[in-house]
Amino acid sequence: MLDDIRVLEISAPETMLAGCILAALGADVVVVEPPAGSLGRRLDPYLDDIPGLERSLTWHAMNRNKRAITLDIASADGRAILAQLAAKFDAAIDSVQSRIAAAALDGIDLPDKLVRTRISAFARSGPKSAYAASDLIVMAASGAPGVSGDIDRPPLFFPVPQAMMEAGADAAIATLAGLMARDRDGQGQSAHVSARIAAMMGAMSQMLGPGAGNPEITRSGGSIAIAGVEVPSIYECADGFVLITVAFGPVFGQMTNRLAQWAAREQCLPPEIGEIPWTSFIPDLQQKKRTPAELQALVDGLKKLACNKTKEEFGAAARSLGLLASPVMNMRDVAESPQYRERGLFASTEISGRRVDVPARFAQCNNFTIEVRRPAPALSQHTVEILEGDLGLSRTEIQALFAHGII
Amino acid sequence: MASPLTGIHVLDLSWVMVGPASGRYLADLGADVIKVESSRRIDPVRTLPPFKDGKPGPERSVGYHNLNAGKRCIAIDIRKPEGREIVLRLSQWADVVLESFTPGVLDELRLAYSDLSARNPKIVMASTSILGQTGPYAKGTSGVGTMGAAMSGATYQFGWPDRVPNGPWGPWTDAVTPRFIVASILAALHRRARTGQGCYLDFAQAECGIQFMMPAYYEYAAGGRIPERRGGAGSALAAPQGVYPCAGNDRWVAIDASEADRWTALRNLIGATLANREFDTLLGRLRARDRLDRAIAQWTEPRQGEAVEAALQAVGVPAHLVSRGNDLAHDPDLRSAGHFRRIDDPVIGEVEVEGPRAEFDRTPAAATARGPRIGEHTGEILREVCGLAQEDIARLMESGVLA
Repeated sequence: MLDDIRVLEISAPETMLAGCILAALGADVVVVEPPAGSLGRRLDPYLDDIPGLERSLTWHAMNRNKRAITLDIASADGRAILAQLAAKFDAAIDSVQSRIAAAALDGIDLPDKLVRTRISAFARSGPKSAYAASDLIVMAASGAPGVSGDIDRPPLFFPVPQAMMEAGADAAIATLAGLMARDRDGQGQSAHVSARIAAMMGAMSQMLGPGAGNPEITRSGGSIAIAGVEVPSIYECADGFVLITVAFGPVFGQMTNRLAQWAAREQCLPPEIGEIPWTSFIPDLQQKKRTPAELQALVDGLKKLACNKTKEEFGAAARSLGLLASPVMNMRDVAESPQYRERGLFASTEISGRRVDVPARFAQCNNFTIEVRRPAPALSQHTVEILEGDLGLSRTEIQALFAHGII
Repeated sequence: MASPLTGIHVLDLSWVMVGPASGRYLADLGADVIKVESSRRIDPVRTLPPFKDGKPGPERSVGYHNLNAGKRCIAIDIRKPEGREIVLRLSQWADVVLESFTPGVLDELRLAYSDLSARNPKIVMASTSILGQTGPYAKGTSGVGTMGAAMSGATYQFGWPDRVPNGPWGPWTDAVTPRFIVASILAALHRRARTGQGCYLDFAQAECGIQFMMPAYYEYAAGGRIPERRGGAGSALAAPQGVYPCAGNDRWVAIDASEADRWTALRNLIGATLANREFDTLLGRLRARDRLDRAIAQWTEPRQGEAVEAALQAVGVPAHLVSRGNDLAHDPDLRSAGHFRRIDDPVIGEVEVEGPRAEFDRTPAAATARGPRIGEHTGEILREVCGLAQEDIARLMESGVLA
């Protein structure tokens, strides 16, 4: 879809997903790294737990389909080459590295037709624009961790850095929107993405509640308390965990009806509890037609039901009965799921010579296929190719740049 | 000044969150988005909080406005033949169609891509569901983003190693998936501008969730190890890095001071309790992590989170309050950036919703308007977009199609 588009990605953790999405959609994406390698190459986990610039699995995961050059953009030659390169590309993505307080393309005279997307941790000109930041800091400021996890322990964060994903995804959108405007009038421009504002998407609308006269949402752990009954959302099953949402009301409550009836058929719930109309349970409770003890009986029954079933069995029942429930899958489950396999989520690539299938196809399209055309690039793998091919530098000039540590 | 998508028409047949949030991105970028709803089957997000003043009501959900700001709304019963015909007419107007029905429903209604593209071959249509439209488990799987998260490997990894997984807050893949939808739609529109070719795009929430967890998948794929829950903030490879308690009820501050100069700055600020020689080196700090964290927590605990954040940032140490809704609502950075936009709704009056997620120097994002009331623009859309005469509209009204 983007096979006529060339993107220059000044590599930082938060640019990686942006380039990855654009490359998946067909763009020619070239990452620019400092001669010592991008920060993304130092992100764990590492292949076989052995660190190395070619061993970051995060780098491998986020740089499929890209080519890579090295360039010391702090040097005069580096900046001159960057400016010349920018003229050969349709879009460029860079990020304000908090230690440098400037983005790579700041101060470079950019061609009018270039769409440049600049990512910063906080709003670009607000009182926190100069904040020292990191993925953890941005996520802390997003609102989601503040309401996550059990109240007796600190807030929870994902083990995989997420601010870089949130920012990268929104930067891909901003870049494409800039290209759409350019399709209309031929002119480029700068777009700005704040990683923190991007990550606030995951906080849903909770920040809007207090201003509209609602109490603030606070942490409640993985369960919700209804009339004093703790209703969990994750249950232990025979071989792992399953997610069960006990919901009420006219739409989602019907799923609870079917769930309770199934639990009763499986002899995990007294028949009379299985027949309660859960759609109207909350108003019925308020009118004292129902009791919290009945809800407690449902929860106890669901615990029993889950223990008797494997993830696979539970998933099959959820599908056939139409339940608001699913297996809690780990990465092996993802790898082995016939659903993802048969649907074509996976594409074949390699990680340091190991052939692997990776879940690369975030969209299925009737006349375009997301492919992994090449694995993540090795450090400086395409420097000569790009400097020669795009800028017409001679081999002697390229060697001179290398001798001076510029590439 | 035109916005990036000025002139692009979007028919939004979706509901709840993923589809409407995708439509909101497109509306922010300047597209004209028509939401199709029915008063007989309202968007369930209208039944979800936060509500204005905490009082439920179909026109009172602030979350609804946040997802549907700037759209127009037509109320039609698409199960009636005349209603179906209106959808087909709208698809002739549309450049983009969004839908999030349970897989199979649009086929039953004969409003699938094949039906719509027969009228408008250049259409870019995007479907979103939990597991997608194809594959052995797709049909019959319907649900919300908590299920998408559970089937993406995310829920399993979000929690404490010694406890049942907690799962990320809220329907996580509802927030992740719109990004892939919008990016793919824009790429498809770019291709269409060159080639005239439309397309059908099928998204599974769970598969989009996996994209945000891709490093963990690579860990499994490369070495066969299943990534497990690691608990709270902070990598095993960095110290100090984590969240620390502050004054108040369940208040925390995140601090990331593992790198040498940041560590020195933190140590100089906190003083004697961090003077211990074992904290001189990274390896020393990692080995004495518990003692280190206790010493830092001792300093943060009596202080307000904002004060800790300000003191640490003043010396260049990455730190931020672990924010909640109220903090975000009053955050000086978000306020100064104008992220919150005041809308004025005839039912709930003035409330704030979020603004666009990107800024553009030359083609600004669209102004943020409130979400439409159910069927608010039915007449206008039927007249101006579908070209219906007033008597036709009256007839449709009478026959219960416009409800």
